[in-house]
Amino acid sequence: MLEQVTRFNESGKRHIIEVFHVYKNYGPRPTLFDINLTVLENEFLFIAGPSGAGKTTFLRLLFRDEQVTQGHILVKGINLQRIPRRKIPLLRRDIGVVFQDFRLIDHYTVYENIALVLEAAGHQARYIPKRVHQVLRMVGLEKTLHAYPARLSGGEQQRIAVARAAVGKPLILLADEPTGNLDADASDMVFDLFAQLHKLGTTIIVATHDKLLLSKVRARIVSLDQGHMEIKNHL
Amino acid sequence: MNPTKIVSVLKRMKRNFVATPYLHLAATGTIGLCLLITGCFIILYTNLNDLIEVWQQDIRIVAYIKDGVSDRQRTLLAQTISKLNGVKEVSYTSKDEALTQLRQQMKHRSSLLDGLHTNPLPASFTIDLVESQKNRVNVTLLSRKINEFPEINDVEYAKAWLHRFSGFISFFRLASLVVGLVVFATTVFICSNTIGLTLYAQRDELDIMRLVGATDSFIKAPFYIQNLIQGLLGSLLAITLLFAVYNIFIAKIEAYGALMATWEVRFLSLTEVYELLLIGVVIAWLGSYISLKQFLKS
Repeated sequence: MLEQVTRFNESGKRHIIEVFHVYKNYGPRPTLFDINLTVLENEFLFIAGPSGAGKTTFLRLLFRDEQVTQGHILVKGINLQRIPRRKIPLLRRDIGVVFQDFRLIDHYTVYENIALVLEAAGHQARYIPKRVHQVLRMVGLEKTLHAYPARLSGGEQQRIAVARAAVGKPLILLADEPTGNLDADASDMVFDLFAQLHKLGTTIIVATHDKLLLSKVRARIVSLDQGHMEIKNHL
Repeated sequence: MNPTKIVSVLKRMKRNFVATPYLHLAATGTIGLCLLITGCFIILYTNLNDLIEVWQQDIRIVAYIKDGVSDRQRTLLAQTISKLNGVKEVSYTSKDEALTQLRQQMKHRSSLLDGLHTNPLPASFTIDLVESQKNRVNVTLLSRKINEFPEINDVEYAKAWLHRFSGFISFFRLASLVVGLVVFATTVFICSNTIGLTLYAQRDELDIMRLVGATDSFIKAPFYIQNLIQGLLGSLLAITLLFAVYNIFIAKIEAYGALMATWEVRFLSLTEVYELLLIGVVIAWLGSYISLKQFLKS
């Protein structure tokens, strides 16, 4: 059994992510310095900062794609430094991730890309098509079911990536520069999807360098610059 | 693993075969080639063992009796020798019988023997051994024992030939083991590298699977299954080729009728065929295990 510590704030909201004095080094040069952060359940959080500030590294630490050099990260009260390797897939099923470059599997159809998440989690065969149709309806791309990603526009591919991240009903959705490769309209559509998921109870964390985007959604903003985090709107 | 995962694994396996057919063919061919070498060794080894057994059946000790030994002494000696451990039968050849046999062997040149005033050939015992005792150590020990009888002049048992042959067999067994191990290790190495190439070709897909919460076993399963199939196909390929080569070889040596009359060159037994199939599967499994472990660690 994993040790799980659940904390709540004064208004009774669960601390879904807690970051304590986190440092991350790649070689001798530190990328992140003494990061401290608490994210509440169903919060919408922006991590703002220029390219190379450490935003991607920070997100990768949250879904245990990387390990901290020093400090602790708790997700749902589970200390990621103590989680055994075999339990990482279970953690990741609670975290959906959206990347700037979409990261869809080219030779899988849209349906197969999304269904893979549910297949990997061992959902029942009857449930999978139903749920895939549901998320595709949500992102407005039901008709692309049998298309391959290369046939879709960048905006459509990113909406498919959001559908894939959301299909497993994760508690947390992490997005790393999700609009970096999109035009303004496509960006708006993707942000509408985030807002919808937020309304459904998902905690959303978006890393971006685009200052325009920050004004689109009412959300808390933390900024990251050269590995140092500054919390602008306190809890 | 639940049914959804099984279906997903099979679908991905089919996709892998379609996506990288040449790599899979290369892996199957490598296993097949290595098992062909292994199979050749097994056939050579078992047939040489059979040949040794045929030759061993002819191992006999001939003990030459001194002149002047009486019939009574000779009968007693024959009884004593026949009671020795490992002796199956003792038969006596008198001096006259030995000369007659020599005449028969010399055929048209037997007239050379007509000038002899006395029979120079000694009487002898031909000692046949029980099957289990027909080896170098036992034959040497028994010969020494028989030679110690005062009535015996000399003992003969194709000593040099037996020593050389035993040495060759020991060397062949050791060489087979070493070559077998080297071939096995090389095949596993080549196989794991070929599988590694398949994994490298699909690294993006596998990375994404890990990101969406797929377990290692879910990721590994199709590779294990497809490689086991490759192992089986490689083994079948090797067995088919071996059978073809065996038949060509048999046709070529049919001319050697005398050899074939006493020694039949045989193909792999059913058990050996199963063993070869098993080796193919083990090679493929080990190859997958090593490459997947390295890949997932990275």
